[in-house]
Amino acid sequence: MEKDLDRVVEEIISTPNVKGCLVADHQGLCLAAKGTAHVDSAGIIVAVSEQACKIEPNLKPPTVCLETDKKQCLIQRHGTITGAIFKQKD
Amino acid sequence: MEKIPDQIGYLVLTEDGAVLESGGDLENDERVATIITDLITLSNKVDPLAFGPNEQFKKISITYDDHWFVICLSNKKIYIVKRSLPTHVYEGNNVIV
Repeated sequence: MEKDLDRVVEEIISTPNVKGCLVADHQGLCLAAKGTAHVDSAGIIVAVSEQACKIEPNLKPPTVCLETDKKQCLIQRHGTITGAIFKQKD
Repeated sequence: MEKIPDQIGYLVLTEDGAVLESGGDLENDERVATIITDLITLSNKVDPLAFGPNEQFKKISITYDDHWFVICLSNKKIYIVKRSLPTHVYEGNNVIV
């Protein structure tokens, strides 16, 4: 059933510099996680995207990017699904 | 803060979210101030495995279709800048880093 999702996650993780990938539903339940992304962070990631949506509730959900010196975490919501990509900076 | 290119609003907050300075679109915008302080608190808990305990986030950006917010912490203050995005640069929700 989750073959399609697994394929997408696999595709994302094989992109250069991508170290982890996570997909969660609107309740914060993890649908898929690969690489450095931990299943337990699904709830927090959904909470972050929901919080960011509150800034402009009338616009479509924004992309949130959390950055450290060497890494990046990109969070994007689409409908009820939230995706997160963990990247290593060049 | 006014000199930042494409700036359309800014906020300077204390660590607990009180507004110190503001201007443009974000003038006295306590709603956005509260949302962003909560967002920072939340982001501290993001994945301890992917981001080690000593890796603090340096910058948070929130990108919409035609504008974006950049959030930085410095000298125990939270700096938030709302900047416009030139329409030809983006294609959907792109992130400009």
